[in-house]
Amino acid sequence: MLKNFKDTVIEIKNLNFKTIIHDVSLEIRRGDYAAIIGPNGGGKSTLVKLILGLMPHDSGMIKLFGQTPSLSSLKKIGYVSQGISKLDENFPISVQEVIHLGLIANKPLFSRISKKDLEMIDHVLIKMNIEDLKDAKISELSGGQRQRVMIAKALVNEPQILILDEPNTGVDKQSQINFYALLKSLNEKENITILFVTHDLGVIVDDINKVLCINQTLLACHDPRQIYHSEQLNELYGVDAHMVCHHH
Amino acid sequence: MEIFQYTFMIKAFLAGTMIAAIASSLGMFVVVKRFSMLSDALAHISLLGVAIGFLTALSPSYSSLVFTLTASWVIEYLRQHNKLYSDSILSIFLSGSLALAIIIVSASSSFNTSLFDYLFGSIVAIDDDDIVIITLLGLICAATLYVNFQRFLYIAFDEESAKASGINTTLLNYLLISLVSVVISVSIKIVGALLIGAMMVIPAIIAMQFSKNFRSSVVYAIFIAMVSVIGGLFISYYASLPSGATIVVLLLCFFILSLLFKPKRY
Repeated sequence: MLKNFKDTVIEIKNLNFKTIIHDVSLEIRRGDYAAIIGPNGGGKSTLVKLILGLMPHDSGMIKLFGQTPSLSSLKKIGYVSQGISKLDENFPISVQEVIHLGLIANKPLFSRISKKDLEMIDHVLIKMNIEDLKDAKISELSGGQRQRVMIAKALVNEPQILILDEPNTGVDKQSQINFYALLKSLNEKENITILFVTHDLGVIVDDINKVLCINQTLLACHDPRQIYHSEQLNELYGVDAHMVCHHH
Repeated sequence: MEIFQYTFMIKAFLAGTMIAAIASSLGMFVVVKRFSMLSDALAHISLLGVAIGFLTALSPSYSSLVFTLTASWVIEYLRQHNKLYSDSILSIFLSGSLALAIIIVSASSSFNTSLFDYLFGSIVAIDDDDIVIITLLGLICAATLYVNFQRFLYIAFDEESAKASGINTTLLNYLLISLVSVVISVSIKIVGALLIGAMMVIPAIIAMQFSKNFRSSVVYAIFIAMVSVIGGLFISYYASLPSGATIVVLLLCFFILSLLFKPKRY
């Protein structure tokens, strides 16, 4: 069957970066809900940073939406960094201000916050079910609420891809379950392609359609149900590992 | 009022309030980026520039500006490239520049008194040129902050996400540190190298405790800094105290009060 390149939103071929990423090739297609798993130091976050252009790769190729990464392609990606867990408790910033930051990159230099911006912020606040937190200081929110605010920031610009780097660090179990339900809804109802780094694959194994196992190199890229008892898990973590699933 | 019969006091109020507004608004970004020591390090580097200016018979103001700007770019380069810890970089520049300034001063005793003015600031030293330079600087800072406020905020809040969204974080970081270094090199003659750091950092720290958003924090910081300058100049005039030190002590009093009255978190 001929490959439909229009459907490939992230394409990586023979990617190398120092000793951290070695000869990684993968494809993420429009509508995918993909998880990146692997041991600490295995290169998961580095791979995300390379995709986003936060670090230059040594060799290989990265294409976003079928083209070399550019400002216009980056603007179609919403990114939630590991920063949620590292948030400065003293930083005086409101929920509305945080979400507005998601609109900044697309604005001309001299533009101010417009009525349309405020409407977009209100819309995403309602979508995330945090409209009553609009004027709250971000440091006063719970881990789960902060998580929703950061996703709202990433979504306010109406991205086609949402990339999240270990978004559940420091968040309680119930908030994690709510969070995954939210991601599933964004993927299914809004057709947003989702790629995220995680350690707790067991919670969402029923929801995702692709799992990327990274330990310096890509050890597997396939249907998550195939790795329930896969030897690749053992190879990935270097111990006798098996998946424990929490169906919800 | 008697205090306003003197031209030098009117100039002091004008220059002092403008510096307070500029320094405290930039200080908000410096503080939330956890780079508070930057102002002190740049102030000491500025002092070295002044000493070299006196030694070489160049204009101390210009040599101070060139030295501070250059050093700020080196500091930012080292920070961005993760060559060293940020606080270590600042500590090295602070003590190193002070050591060099002391050696230059001890080698030539002819300008000890003049350098002393830059160390602690001198209200009577303000001339018309200073007022013009500070006004121009204020306009440049206000315009730069107006245009880039949200981008500076995004970088301070989450530099990685800002960069991933396509914002030129490298350029904006250099722009911000350049503004800070210019403000410091212009201000040390009036406020003093040892005191400008307080003017930049303390109003921001007080403001952060009472506001729920960044925009109002900046407004509060400017207000606190201006009240401190006006109050400090009045007190120093009528109590015959050094003006720069009085302003900083007043800021410290406000800081202690803010700790006592800050809203409690539950």
